[in-house]
Amino acid sequence: MSLINRLLRKNMSPARIAGFVLSNFIGLAIVVAGLQFFQDVRSIYTDEDSFIRKDFLVVNKKVTSANTVDGRPALFTPGEIAGLESQPWVRKVGRFSTVDYRVSASVEAGGRGMSTSMFFESIPSEFIDVAGSGWEYRPGSLEVPVIMSKDYLTLYNFGFASSAGLPQLSEQFMGGIPLRLRITSDDGMRRGEFAGRVVGFSNRLNTILVPEEFMEWSNREFGSGGSRPGPSRLIVDVSSPGDVAIAPYLEEHGMEAAGDKRASQASFLLNVVTGVILAVGVVITVLSFFILLLSVSILMEKNRDKIHTLLMLGYPLGRVASPYRKMILWSCLGAYVLAVAVVYCFRLSYLHELEGLGGGGEWWLAPTVGLLLTLAVVALNVVAVGRRVRAAWRVSR
Amino acid sequence: MSETNRIGSIRLSGMLPKVFVNEPAGDSQVWKSDVEFRRGEHWLIEAASGAGKSSLCAYIYGTRTDYVGHLMFDSRDAASLSVDEWQSLRRTNIAYLPQELALFPELTALENVRLKACLADGRGDDAILAMMRELGIDSRADYPVGRMSIGQQQRVAIIRTLCQPFDFILLDEPVSHLDETNNRIAASMILREAERQGAGIITTSVGNPLLIDNLRRVRL
Repeated sequence: MSLINRLLRKNMSPARIAGFVLSNFIGLAIVVAGLQFFQDVRSIYTDEDSFIRKDFLVVNKKVTSANTVDGRPALFTPGEIAGLESQPWVRKVGRFSTVDYRVSASVEAGGRGMSTSMFFESIPSEFIDVAGSGWEYRPGSLEVPVIMSKDYLTLYNFGFASSAGLPQLSEQFMGGIPLRLRITSDDGMRRGEFAGRVVGFSNRLNTILVPEEFMEWSNREFGSGGSRPGPSRLIVDVSSPGDVAIAPYLEEHGMEAAGDKRASQASFLLNVVTGVILAVGVVITVLSFFILLLSVSILMEKNRDKIHTLLMLGYPLGRVASPYRKMILWSCLGAYVLAVAVVYCFRLSYLHELEGLGGGGEWWLAPTVGLLLTLAVVALNVVAVGRRVRAAWRVSR
Repeated sequence: MSETNRIGSIRLSGMLPKVFVNEPAGDSQVWKSDVEFRRGEHWLIEAASGAGKSSLCAYIYGTRTDYVGHLMFDSRDAASLSVDEWQSLRRTNIAYLPQELALFPELTALENVRLKACLADGRGDDAILAMMRELGIDSRADYPVGRMSIGQQQRVAIIRTLCQPFDFILLDEPVSHLDETNNRIAASMILREAERQGAGIITTSVGNPLLIDNLRRVRL
């Protein structure tokens, strides 16, 4: 050990440094483990739909017996839409548009044909995440991209096909074969035939979706042109899908949200729990930062005369500060490496089971956040050491 | 102030410690006057206790700034030097032996000198030991300084002060605990090193001055 290190490390308390390393280790381990667990678990809840974001809700009015008896469909009134739009948890509301004509679709599968009446709906394209996957429609084109509900395919495969002796269809197969779509206006005077191309299946949209451009164009071409009733479904962009205010509001106004709300509630809960764990970890890390700051301050205060004398000899400030800075750097890095190693082992213990549930995220964000926290602790302490050396420069006690 | 810059003169212009500002003016030839120390000159600042002798040294070495007036290194006002410039000045321009010696008691005599030599002029242990031999403390080279007598400590500190390049060597009562023989040896070593470097000597005394011939005397 050099002379200057021997002088300046005198009075250093290994117990105090160990106390810091331990507390910094605990804080960092909690932060890194919490964040990593969040990353790993989150994918269980977010791995649901690539077409529509998790924070979009599809809302419809509840169908009551009254609707059935008097034949009036359950539609949203402009007042109800405005009321929804004014809620604080709503960012944007989009309307489902429906067709104003009749559609039948047929498909050839395994040498047998099958035909059915069907319908289309569309939503504003800003609500759909299908960039670059062939969702565009040019008015007049004979090929129409379609997104189908996965439920329909499930119903067909496991309900209808098996009982009717028809072949089951895979998603890939459905994407590969064209649907023949026949459009007939209500008065039967105008007809059109189009090739439907299934670009994907959605878990959360219980409909058959076509691009808005096609909807507008085809309604002009084949529609009866009469005034259209209000929408029966809305798509709502909410700021937080787990917001507790959503469910009571929908309930009170006779609406319901489609899809699995438990996933979003669980995801909300996960966010809250992760937030609490991270906060605890950060608080412990901050406290450990103060332990280090205090330990180094006490040490430098005890060695202040030596620091002053070294500066009197002409030693550069950086050289006098460096034993303390190295000590800070090594103890912080030690705590960090220890924390990451422990979290890594902890993760190995749960990862196997989690992967069975569809979890398992990437292993870099949490260690990076831990490293940034460590570097922040190091940087602040390094600056504090510089200030203390400077304070010892001019006057000795 | 870069490592290669030499200082030709130290000028005190109208300087006075702030604590003296409201006191009646004494007959000092330094305070509130204009004094210039040049390289190659040898000065003795004579003072009674409490006249501000150590304060003057601390001002010139940058450890204190509680004065009025100006302290100039050539054309540069000392008040405008940054901390880093002061540190560079202490390594290459001004060697200072403070009255309180500023040795590390837990280090040996040799280590104390080495601490300065390895920073400032790379003088090896052999050269340091030769200087110790000259002052009769080579047998104490590996003793912790804290266990040495004050006179021995003073000699260690003198050697340490000489182990660096300097334009001025500032010695605050350097021989207060030395007998006349050692005083003369120390004086000749200081003179030799100062002449080798073409440097100026500024020494203070309250009655036991460094025994160098033809010192210019000035009363504080």
